[in-house]
Amino acid sequence: MRHDLAILAFACAVATGTQAQVAARDLFVRADKGQCIACHQLPEGAGAATRADIGPRLDGGRMRALGKAGLRQSIADPTVANPDTVMPPFGRHRILDAGEIERLVEFLLALP
Amino acid sequence: MNARLHRGTFARLLSAWVCVLGGAQALAAPEPVKKEIAARLERQYPDLKGADYALGSAAFDTELRAALEEHANAAAESIEAGRALWNAKFRDAKSLASCFPNGGRRIAQNYPQYDAGLKRVVTIAMAVNQCLKVHKQPLYDPADPATMGAIVAYVRSLALGQRIAVRVPAAAEEKFEQGRRLYFTRLGQRNFACASCHLQSAGKRYGDVALSAPIGQATHWPEIRGAKPVMLQARMRECLELMGAAPFPVGSEELNQIEFFLTYLSNGQPLKAGAWRPG
Repeated sequence: MRHDLAILAFACAVATGTQAQVAARDLFVRADKGQCIACHQLPEGAGAATRADIGPRLDGGRMRALGKAGLRQSIADPTVANPDTVMPPFGRHRILDAGEIERLVEFLLALP
Repeated sequence: MNARLHRGTFARLLSAWVCVLGGAQALAAPEPVKKEIAARLERQYPDLKGADYALGSAAFDTELRAALEEHANAAAESIEAGRALWNAKFRDAKSLASCFPNGGRRIAQNYPQYDAGLKRVVTIAMAVNQCLKVHKQPLYDPADPATMGAIVAYVRSLALGQRIAVRVPAAAEEKFEQGRRLYFTRLGQRNFACASCHLQSAGKRYGDVALSAPIGQATHWPEIRGAKPVMLQARMRECLELMGAAPFPVGSEELNQIEFFLTYLSNGQPLKAGAWRPG
């Protein structure tokens, strides 16, 4: 019985993790949300492929170098670091809420 | 609903702010503005020939450029429909053709024009409706592709290859300046200005679409998308929606002024019409 519960808990954790990833990927492409895909490319195999190049390619190594706080700030209001950036202030202009920004940060940190 | 309200209010407030600034700041003379933008693009794309800008986004996209040649006659149906409307007789036996010099041949390169009497920028679509009004005819919806879009496609087809030659007399410099400010002012929930994409990121790709540059952006309209003519101001509205701003109406002062500004930047470029775009 205890063994079955452990398996169930593990399965739920995997499913929740997968759902979060899918949701973040959804935020990444949705026109009414981040739609990051309009400006950025993902590493091959990590999601939808476009030729977008307004912003830099989102390689996992670079994302991890920016760190969680740096990424969070870059998404919430990139104009703080660079007033001339064309990237929208997703948090400041309420395009994404705090939870959605966190999901995107986790998604970016997990990129290959 | 809230997001829509927020976007609309935001855009209107910014627009009002731009208008207030319009009365308070010195005007930038049109030619230096054009030269500065041209110099910036030349630094970004030193290998791009001046005349290539007339291709719009196709200047930066070799696949689209090849497709344009394949679809060189994409506008034929719209032009034919426009020709019929242009020559249709009113009850007084006049027609749209009779309202314009030379039956409308080789006039499109001079539009938009500043009308000193009206103190307004007049686009081809407005001039068409002015003619209809004088002759007591029902006006066309300036945003309707099937009527006004077809007429504009036809009139522009009568000026193919003419060098764009929009004049900005001293009395119209404020209108030009207002168009310039609107083009460079960040609007809407996404905080984009037209210039964010079309100057700062000209030639780059938004999704898979190459971004046109301000010079040459007004040369090739209407574009033909899904067999329908899409006019420049309709395209501006699509951009405004992408920016998360409440789009100004077709024929509004704001879009007329942006069109005036943009078309002046294309002065000297060959006029094209009916450029095909993927539907």
